[in-house]
Amino acid sequence: MRGNSVGLEVRSLTKVFGRGDGVRAVSDLSFRVEPGRVTGFLGPNGSGKTTTLRCLLGLVSPTSGETLVGGHPYRELHDPLHTVGAALEASGFHPGRTARGHLSVVAASAGIPRTRVTEVLELVGLAEAGHRKVGGFSLGMRQRLSLATALLGDPAVLILDEPANGLDPEGIAWLRNFLRSLAAEGRTVLVSSHVLSEVQLTVDDVVIIRKGELVSYGSLDALSSGMNARVIVRSPDSIRLAESISQQASTSVTTDTTGALLITGMTAAEIGALAFAQNVMLHELHTEEHDLEAVFLELTSSEGGGA
Amino acid sequence: MNALRAEFRKVLTTRLVLWLLGFSVAFTALNVLLMVYLVPTNGRIVDSEQLLQIPAYVNSIVASCANASVFVLIIGIIGMTGEYRHMTITATFLASPRRAPVMVAKAVAYAVIGAIFGIVNFIISLSLATITLAGKEHAAIVASESLQTLGGVILGFAIYAILGVAVGSLIRNQVAALIIALVFVFLIQPLLSTFVDWTTAWLPGGALDAAMNMTYRQGEATSGLLSAWAGGLLLIGYAIVLGAIASITTLKRDIT
Repeated sequence: MRGNSVGLEVRSLTKVFGRGDGVRAVSDLSFRVEPGRVTGFLGPNGSGKTTTLRCLLGLVSPTSGETLVGGHPYRELHDPLHTVGAALEASGFHPGRTARGHLSVVAASAGIPRTRVTEVLELVGLAEAGHRKVGGFSLGMRQRLSLATALLGDPAVLILDEPANGLDPEGIAWLRNFLRSLAAEGRTVLVSSHVLSEVQLTVDDVVIIRKGELVSYGSLDALSSGMNARVIVRSPDSIRLAESISQQASTSVTTDTTGALLITGMTAAEIGALAFAQNVMLHELHTEEHDLEAVFLELTSSEGGGA
Repeated sequence: MNALRAEFRKVLTTRLVLWLLGFSVAFTALNVLLMVYLVPTNGRIVDSEQLLQIPAYVNSIVASCANASVFVLIIGIIGMTGEYRHMTITATFLASPRRAPVMVAKAVAYAVIGAIFGIVNFIISLSLATITLAGKEHAAIVASESLQTLGGVILGFAIYAILGVAVGSLIRNQVAALIIALVFVFLIQPLLSTFVDWTTAWLPGGALDAAMNMTYRQGEATSGLLSAWAGGLLLIGYAIVLGAIASITTLKRDIT
């Protein structure tokens, strides 16, 4: 674990672009991001994620409210790159500069030695491509270079905007393990995405926004436990089983086209015990994976209600 | 200091600066050759042999590297607008969230680069003028005059680079900034000079000519130029005013 953990805090953040009744990108948004955990910052495109991150990083001035990094506004940090590493967009490179050149510019601006440039290139798997111009990089390589830039200062906080964009499945798996290991070291990791399934296996906590407003905030477990889990059962004696299950309080049983029973209101263990007690043979008994993506879509669709 | 080192590294990690230095040197060489051999005369019939006898004309050949100032303006504009065009300004302000020191570092870095451009181009024009004039009958190249030209080119080119940075932070669209700057230098400024005579001395081009001792254009002595000192001060004034406006807008701007 790292010695000094640094959390993030967004307090009643509102940002309106333009004068008067401009575009309200973020509206009275509040949440905290805890050290040692990976937090997913989720919402559809245009929901205000990037604006919020840019406010956190002092690039955009809030209309009202404030954003804090370890209790201080970003612009007042003494050593910003050693505190926060951010990868905001894959396009933030001069195409004529080499990967190494790009990193050495950023390193110079924070007094980071050139040896660290080699280290981060190796860390993200770009050691071979360091001498090549960024203009010839694929989107996946740019993402890796963005990540390398964020890691230059060995920061306590990582803020990554859509880091999985353009990565192949292997790259996504690599990123997942990498972010998990960074959080395990006690770092604060905030990852934005417009697809929950992309980060579902990576994040501990979620902050979900829609049209600049908070719709859900808490641990991923809390989000999924709010749903009715379905248990799928196959049995040669399914009719008898269905009857005894439907006699239990607050359960529902339906049969799908293949003859399997879809049960809500009971856990798989309870159903197994019931079948055992009734001498019903079971061929299959499993709990359906939570379809978090469906929850996410419902929360963030334009008609969807708040949470 | 870190911000300043980063600015130099930004310039040195792309090839642009070398290309522009090459172009500027070629342009200066062309200017010297034209003034020595062709004597641009604006259509009038001038005895070129006679012109070469005029000390001020000969000094203006040495000072003709002043025309390469446009390349320094361009490098400042591209350096600043490139940050917005490629969104590297995000990384810049993430590393140095206090923006005023960044703007100062950029101005200082480009001033140094401008001054180096000035010195290189001065060396080219002085040596090429010396070589090409050797076979001709001409007024002497006066060392003290050339020294004043050197001082003027260092100050003037440093200021032009800062002006480029300032223009680039006010007009963030690279193409638009370049077009506006070039239209000003090659169209608006000459037109104003031609039709409203007194403006010549007060425009940036006239101030640079004064500071550099560049007193002959189109084979004719420029009338009404300020003194070298006044020209230099006027250039500094332009840099302070334009730089202040550019800094104030950049400090408040949302980087999206």
